[in-house]
Amino acid sequence: MSTATVTESPSEVLVEIRDLVIGIQRTRADRLILVDSADFDIRRGEILGLVGESGSGKTMVCRSLIGTLKRRSATIFGGTIMFDGMDLAKIDERRWRSVRGNRIGYVPQSALTGPNPVMTIGGQLVEAVRCNRNRTERDARKRAMELLDLVHIRRPEVVYDQYPFQLSGGMRQRVMIAAALAQDPDIILADEPTTGLDVTVQAEIMKLLREIRTEFNMSVVLVSHDLALIDDVCDRLVVMHGGTCVEVGSVKEVAQNPKHPYTIALNRARIELATPGTQLITIRGNPPGVGEWPSGCRFSERCEFVQDDCRVGASPPLLEVESNHWSACIHAGELGAASE
Amino acid sequence: MMFGFEKGTTQVSLSMPPADVTDIAADSTQAGPRPQPIWERILRRTGRAVIVAFWVMVVAFMLIRLAPGDPVSAALGGEASPETVAALRTQLGLDVDPITQFWKYLWAFTQGDLGSSLLSGVPVTEMLKTNLPVTLWLIAITVTMTMIVSIPLAVFIALVRIPALPYVFRTLTAIGLALPSFLVALLLLYQFGLIWGIAPIFGYEPGFPANLHYLWLPALVNCVVLVPVLSRVLYSSILDTLDEEFVETGVIRGVKSYRFFWFYVLRPSLAPTVVLLSYMMGVMVGSTVILESIFALPGIGRELVTAVSMRDYPVVQGIILVFGVLVVFLSLLGDIVASLLDPRVKLT
Ligand SMILES: Nc1ncnc2c1ncn2[C@@H]1O[C@H](COP(=O)(O)OP(=O)(O)OP(=O)(O)O)[C@@H](O)[C@H]1O
Ligand code: SF4
Ligand SMILES: [Mg+2]
Repeated sequence: MSTATVTESPSEVLVEIRDLVIGIQRTRADRLILVDSADFDIRRGEILGLVGESGSGKTMVCRSLIGTLKRRSATIFGGTIMFDGMDLAKIDERRWRSVRGNRIGYVPQSALTGPNPVMTIGGQLVEAVRCNRNRTERDARKRAMELLDLVHIRRPEVVYDQYPFQLSGGMRQRVMIAAALAQDPDIILADEPTTGLDVTVQAEIMKLLREIRTEFNMSVVLVSHDLALIDDVCDRLVVMHGGTCVEVGSVKEVAQNPKHPYTIALNRARIELATPGTQLITIRGNPPGVGEWPSGCRFSERCEFVQDDCRVGASPPLLEVESNHWSACIHAGELGAASE
Repeated sequence: MMFGFEKGTTQVSLSMPPADVTDIAADSTQAGPRPQPIWERILRRTGRAVIVAFWVMVVAFMLIRLAPGDPVSAALGGEASPETVAALRTQLGLDVDPITQFWKYLWAFTQGDLGSSLLSGVPVTEMLKTNLPVTLWLIAITVTMTMIVSIPLAVFIALVRIPALPYVFRTLTAIGLALPSFLVALLLLYQFGLIWGIAPIFGYEPGFPANLHYLWLPALVNCVVLVPVLSRVLYSSILDTLDEEFVETGVIRGVKSYRFFWFYVLRPSLAPTVVLLSYMMGVMVGSTVILESIFALPGIGRELVTAVSMRDYPVVQGIILVFGVLVVFLSLLGDIVASLLDPRVKLT
């Protein structure tokens, strides 16, 4: 296991996502569903991993947590996102302003295009510090410097006046993390924060995220393709496939005792990859495309444990198969023996 | 064994020795190099502009002498006696070889003397003093009008999400692009000048804003060519910008709408348009020759046409030199403005 301290006993639940449905209203009668019955909690002080193949809906879930779905013409069609007595799925733009950036911070995917290219680092940080709040220029500047220091940027007074193009990818991502921390939020969403960074820089960024979690008891939602990275950094993980959550549990539990064939396959693919000399195997078939989901379990086309009853009805819901370990496989109970 | 979440199999190991981490961290925590100050870059570009101007001078000098005929035969016609011709050639300084002529010209140039018209005897510098402002004003008004139309148009099409609008926009701009500008000039002159009578069909009055009355129509002709190109470029860069992630961060920070519009939408999108406009204006300098002839404006473009037909060497050389400097200067100006707007644009 990783060096992260895994909280075995469930701690305080911060965000409760239930049956979340996200989609695009294309015409009055035509809805394209992108995410369907997402179901998981975010607990205080945990690093929660969100994994799944490309197109599984990870980014959509993140956007629903930060209230920027509308920009991409997507909407929440159902479900609830309970956060501090509010249902984020239903609040209006005015209420969002007090949540976004203030209570929930966001670290964008690409270090290259995350910072605004036409503003100095300082200018952006001041903006983040002032986010819907009255603060004097001097105050904000002081806080911005503090933030740069917090993410271990040396000579912050130099970086303050620089433009993003003058910084390396790793630096830019540090700055984005600093900006996300500006309001001391409860949660930080990091959507694949290390895309395009090399492995060593990636490790530094992860180290920083963990440090922040420990120091401020913040929750971090870390989206990634990379299961290895999730293993190292996260406490719990949510596995997404075809727009639904298929498995939720602590990293340790899911690693030792996976309860969904998709997770099993992901793990195997990863281990084969990491073992030199073996052929590259990937998961059989392609992830089901949005709008082309099969009936019943969406993994049925690719699943090696598939049975007839998997293909009928609605997508199977997440069930707590063991304490604090959920799976959406209707044959979860039979997997243990088969996968040994 | 199947689910080795052990460290050995992971791609990223966070248990690397601290020394290592700090070592590498030097890369991602250190400030980058300071950029060259902007004036240094401007100076370098200006230096290059001087070199370009010199070569423009050489080429103009050669080209006009390569054209058949010379000022003497243009002035005297074919029937003059050889003695008269020789006398005039000596008087005009054309009896020495071209290389010597060029050195003389260059020497005079360094004294601020561009020679005098072979026909009227008026110094070229004097001529430029009266004619160049007309052309410069035409360019300035063209740029202003183009920006005033292109920016709101592109912003509107990009931000107001009406499904059919981009399609209509593309079609109309394609039509605008396909029209030859002399035809546009004639059509507009006919419509605005003759039918509606709201624009003068010839004439000029120096000084702003009096000249506006005479220049708005020729500038409009330029706009018909420029607006489709520029608004299209701006439109697509705004769409690209809106798709970028920093826009998301701006939304999250709740940036005030006017600030948002400027810092997160327009400013990051403007650079390509500004650079393109400055280059296009360089091309347009050539088209002022046609426009000034059609609208009978006393600018250097029309002067050039007369001078070329009369083989008035010093005038042709002087005007081409000015055109060359103008093109170089406009593109420099465009690059400077673009790099001030968007620091990603490097002034090379
Ligand atoms: N505006 C849209 N119209 C149609 N489909 C969309 C739209 N936006 C997103 N999608 C689709 O929604 C699905 C989920 O997208 P999302 O970005 O959440 O996936 P992801 O898990 O984040 O993938 P990645 O790992 O590639 O980032 C994708 O298949 C995507 O093609
Ligand atoms: S429900 Fe059936 S098809 Fe789906 S993962 Fe479980 S066994 Fe495979
Ligand atoms: Mg994504």
